[in-house]
Amino acid sequence: MAKPRYWSVTEGPLVLPAVLLFTAVYLYPLSRLVAWSFFTPGFSIRHYRALFAEPAYVTAFVNTFDLSVSVTVMTFLLGYPVAYLMTTISPRARAIVLACVLVPFWTSILVRTFAWMVLLGRNGLVNHALAALGLVTTPVALIHNRIGVQIGMVHVLLPLMILPLYSVMVRIDPAWLRAARSLGARPRQVFLHVFLPLSLPGIGAGGALVFLSSIGFFVTPALLGGPRQITIAMLIDLMINDLLNWGFGAALALVLLVVITVFFVVFQRALRLDRVWGGAV
Amino acid sequence: MVRRREVLKVIGTTTAAVALGPFFHARPARADKGELVVVTWGGSLVKAQRKAYFEGFEKETGIKIKDDTPPTPAKLKAMVESGNVTWDVIETDLAAILTMRKDNLLEPIDYRKLDTRALDSIYPATRLPDAIGSKIYSFNIVYNTKALAPGKHPRTWGDMWDGKKFAGGRTMNFGGGVTPQLEIALLADGVPKDKLYPLDVARAYASMAKLRPLVNKWYGSHAEAIQLVTSGESAIACTVGPRGIAAKREGAPIDVEFNEGKLAADHWCIVKGSRNREAGHAFISYAIDAKRQAAMSQEVPYGPSNKKAIEFLKPAEARELPSSPENEKMQWWWQAAWWGEIGSDGKTNRERETEKFARWMVTG
Repeated sequence: MAKPRYWSVTEGPLVLPAVLLFTAVYLYPLSRLVAWSFFTPGFSIRHYRALFAEPAYVTAFVNTFDLSVSVTVMTFLLGYPVAYLMTTISPRARAIVLACVLVPFWTSILVRTFAWMVLLGRNGLVNHALAALGLVTTPVALIHNRIGVQIGMVHVLLPLMILPLYSVMVRIDPAWLRAARSLGARPRQVFLHVFLPLSLPGIGAGGALVFLSSIGFFVTPALLGGPRQITIAMLIDLMINDLLNWGFGAALALVLLVVITVFFVVFQRALRLDRVWGGAV
Repeated sequence: MVRRREVLKVIGTTTAAVALGPFFHARPARADKGELVVVTWGGSLVKAQRKAYFEGFEKETGIKIKDDTPPTPAKLKAMVESGNVTWDVIETDLAAILTMRKDNLLEPIDYRKLDTRALDSIYPATRLPDAIGSKIYSFNIVYNTKALAPGKHPRTWGDMWDGKKFAGGRTMNFGGGVTPQLEIALLADGVPKDKLYPLDVARAYASMAKLRPLVNKWYGSHAEAIQLVTSGESAIACTVGPRGIAAKREGAPIDVEFNEGKLAADHWCIVKGSRNREAGHAFISYAIDAKRQAAMSQEVPYGPSNKKAIEFLKPAEARELPSSPENEKMQWWWQAAWWGEIGSDGKTNRERETEKFARWMVTG
């Protein structure tokens, strides 16, 4: 096997198309965003001053992070056993589980969010069932609050957790687990000391994907959230689409980007994610 | 080493599937030779417009009309700034026009090119330098008839504020500007409808604070508001009345109370840099005709901007229009002048108050 290298002169032309695409569809628009936030039209930091002077924007950031962290934890708790199950069952059963994970993933987010509204609404299936069973007399509020957004987002983002977890778990050599068993470890110890640490890169990758996706989530919080779940994406939409205040909208987006980057760097140090990203970050 | 590659591959494919989605859009509408792109709010509205205006115009002039949606100021701004304007005519409300006007996104309307006979009966307040009235809409009390039986339903904004007399959640719009929240908050607090302007903003917020505990959703679109009331999630919405009437006609458990409603006009505008200004004017001239507007109001329950159009409608057809003589008397006209005023901070009242209202919603 060749010495692992991530860049060399001969590989240069091969990555050129990707670099060009990335520059055109990501870096260039991003630079425009930076320009809007600082030049209105002369250089000024007034958008940033306004942003930090108002507790409302900070509150919206806190709402967004609170939601994203809780959704990430929930997808992990639900996704980890599923990914593990997929490594233990027959290829045929695995194909079925994989289809169950992927089919909703390819369904429009809007459709899935509306489906939750039908299921969880005041006159939805769940409330009718609860009432028919005599468990409640007045409908329980399951949407337009925190739990409603969490249910919707976890459902949408679960595949992003399961797929990386599975791809890591399937590579864990069962011989190591057998070795641990043969050395006298109880199943719980095998899991905690061998399997869990070896699956850590998957947790890191899945967690990062889910967290970063939920930070910018718009449709689901907007439809399933209540008066207290106003996220930063909803405010950015208001500034960009409704008020044409692109400078301030850009400032909100860039502060979000910086906060996410800091968060991500801390996260990857803590979870040794550099092993997942190939040391490139 | 191998494992790392594998993870990267999975991450790569999953993110690629998500990230590439936005690039597979249909080709945007663009006017070719002999075509005109008209942008309105889509859905059942554009179906009615095709029947009442587009089809006849195409036959008469040979110019094909392509429709597009939504007519958001942001999309137009992006087009104008990139020099790639694919729209010609848009229909939108005055609040959006105030925003677009400030960013210089509209062409002036050349009134010499419009049907002068029709012009005389267009509401004078809707004949603006860069826009001309297309239809009349209203913001009203839209309520669920299962939760609140007609006859025992809320008739004033004060009733909407009264959680003891009328049970159930309330819903109001999140975006779309702060109008008419501040006006109806003042009406609920006892300000007479002919003394609304200039708005007492502090008093309006004090009144809104009393409504807040009853609000169970800030809705993002008027279609969502109708859905919230139809499904019973919210008992009362402040939303576009004609949409409520349309839902009622389709059998939804919804009704509309026109009393104390906000009356306002949608307008036709020609977008900056349109390559079909002549055809755009010809279309607008065609669409302000009284008879054609009457046909439009038979399709969707919006009021005609041409006052004469009411004469071509049966009394039963006119009764549920926001601008029927009886309904007009019960409501008040939205005053764009106050909302367009620019303060010492360089912002219009609409911009400043919409931002403030967003912050108010977040911190509540």
